[in-house]
Amino acid sequence: MNLTQYFTEAFAVLAANRVRSLLTVLGLIIGVTAVIAIQVLGAGMAGAVSGLLGGLSERAFIVFPSQQANFTRASIKLSDLQRAKDEIPNVVAAMPAGGQRVVAAYGHAHHRITFGAGPDERFSTSTPIRYGRKLSEDDIAEGRHVCVVSDQGYTKFAMIGDPTGSSLRVGDRRFTIVGVLGTDKSGILPLNFNLDVTVPYPTYERYFVHGNAIVFARFLMADASKVEATEADTLNWLRHLKGPRVEYQTFDRKAFSKGVDGIFAGITIVVALIGAVSLLVAGIGILNIMLVSVAERTREIGLRKAIGATRFQVLLQFFIEALALSGFGCLIGLILGVTIGALVNDFAIVKFSGVVAPIPWVRSILIATVFTTVVTLAFGTYPAWRAATLDPIEALRYE
Amino acid sequence: MNSSAAIDVREVTKTYDLGDVKVEALRGVSFTIARGEYVAIMGPSGSGKSTLMNLLGCLDRPTTGRYLLDSIDVSTLGDDQLAAIRLKKLGFVFQGFNLLARTSALKNVALPLFYAGVGSRERNALAAGRLAEVGLADRVNHKPSELSGGQQQRVAIARALVNDPAVLLADEPTGNLDSTTSEELMGVFQHLNEAGRTIIMVTHDEDVAGHARRIIRLRDGRIVDDQATGKG
Repeated sequence: MNLTQYFTEAFAVLAANRVRSLLTVLGLIIGVTAVIAIQVLGAGMAGAVSGLLGGLSERAFIVFPSQQANFTRASIKLSDLQRAKDEIPNVVAAMPAGGQRVVAAYGHAHHRITFGAGPDERFSTSTPIRYGRKLSEDDIAEGRHVCVVSDQGYTKFAMIGDPTGSSLRVGDRRFTIVGVLGTDKSGILPLNFNLDVTVPYPTYERYFVHGNAIVFARFLMADASKVEATEADTLNWLRHLKGPRVEYQTFDRKAFSKGVDGIFAGITIVVALIGAVSLLVAGIGILNIMLVSVAERTREIGLRKAIGATRFQVLLQFFIEALALSGFGCLIGLILGVTIGALVNDFAIVKFSGVVAPIPWVRSILIATVFTTVVTLAFGTYPAWRAATLDPIEALRYE
Repeated sequence: MNSSAAIDVREVTKTYDLGDVKVEALRGVSFTIARGEYVAIMGPSGSGKSTLMNLLGCLDRPTTGRYLLDSIDVSTLGDDQLAAIRLKKLGFVFQGFNLLARTSALKNVALPLFYAGVGSRERNALAAGRLAEVGLADRVNHKPSELSGGQQQRVAIARALVNDPAVLLADEPTGNLDSTTSEELMGVFQHLNEAGRTIIMVTHDEDVAGHARRIIRLRDGRIVDDQATGKG
């Protein structure tokens, strides 16, 4: 069975009826384009969201008072927080979260900046580094007077080149700059540590937590999978510490993801519906044009059968013609969909989030393949069967 | 009965059941055609000659009776088996040529070989050979629309011969051609017959039939006359 020959002939026939073939597959092209573009965009969005969540590690959660709580009463003593890792299972560290606005000096420049404890690198997801390094375990353990400047901090001070090694002054404390972070678009999360300048949290606690009390705390876990139990334990521990009248709540990556997942589930259902409708419309178009093709070529079919083509060979010919038609449509749809999706992703989502998500090629090709198969099987089989079962005598007599 | 006959038709009838009416197109026809014969089948319309041609061409099955083609009983074969017989044993030439319009002469001729599963290089070589045989060696890559009626019919003849069939069946082969071209085409048939081809031709044109060596005349589904023309 020489399939290449069948395909060659099918494409020759389709090419001979160019306009008709194009118009027929237009519906399929639009449907597949829409579905794949939204898939690619979805991947971009998902990538963007997880990128935005990058500031909050899976192994971290934040505790803060409920909205109706009295913040003064709800504040947690630093000394209590330091005991948390011994008293709450799975908690390995607890530190102040958030920061404060201070005036800092770099050379002769004075600027009001946001300033706070830097995340423990063991528990944060990667942020790109432009110069130097991040805060190290030793910086944290020894409470060194070092700091890391974020992208916006770098801009604020109008720093030029590599500033590591020079110092930054906050009040009467000097901090040696050890690193500058790259662009990190994590600005949509509350209490995320998108601060201009960060120092090791013991250092921050020692000099900048006044009155030994903090309102927002960040807890780090050994095992991220036990986040729910650990959060419950932490809330219990706080209730025990502060009494039942103060309510706290937790926020973690999962809580954010849950909301996002809901939106994506909705989008997926809508896209699936669009896909199904366009598939049906496109399929009917292909069914129609294939029936026309069979009718037009009745004599040709009669001739082919007279010279010895079997029913299967005739069936195959028209089936492959339908397959070539739908396959062509799906291929164009795939290319257009990925192109449009990638372009929109590049010019909108990546610009906003700074996250480049990989294009889901395998899934796109899979979708196009499934579309092709379904359309061909559902709408290409009947015309091919009609052609195959034509009576050669009547077909040859057909005018 | 000659066991080596190309065609051996025994008491064949064909009745079309059109619901209320039964049409007896053939009412018991028997004849044999030996290898190398050149036979014309004639008769007025409604005589059953088209029906007989369809049966001889294995496009249809007789209602009763037996039909042996090249010693194979084809009267009870299924559709796909008949297709295989048409592919291997028969070559068709039609009144309307029935060439594929967008396809070159070469590919048209090679078409039966495609269904026979012959590789493309061998197909093209065989097809080119057949085209040369009908005098169209220089028209191999022409499309039907670029050929005259006579040339198109010669392409059709080349196609009918490409599988080296036992019998060449021609149904009004000159029906769409002018008399000069008809004469030329008759020359081609003559030539093929002299080379040993068994040819059966349906026609209502006495001049055309006169080229055959034997004429079978039908009327009302029966053979009324079967005699040599004295040619050859």
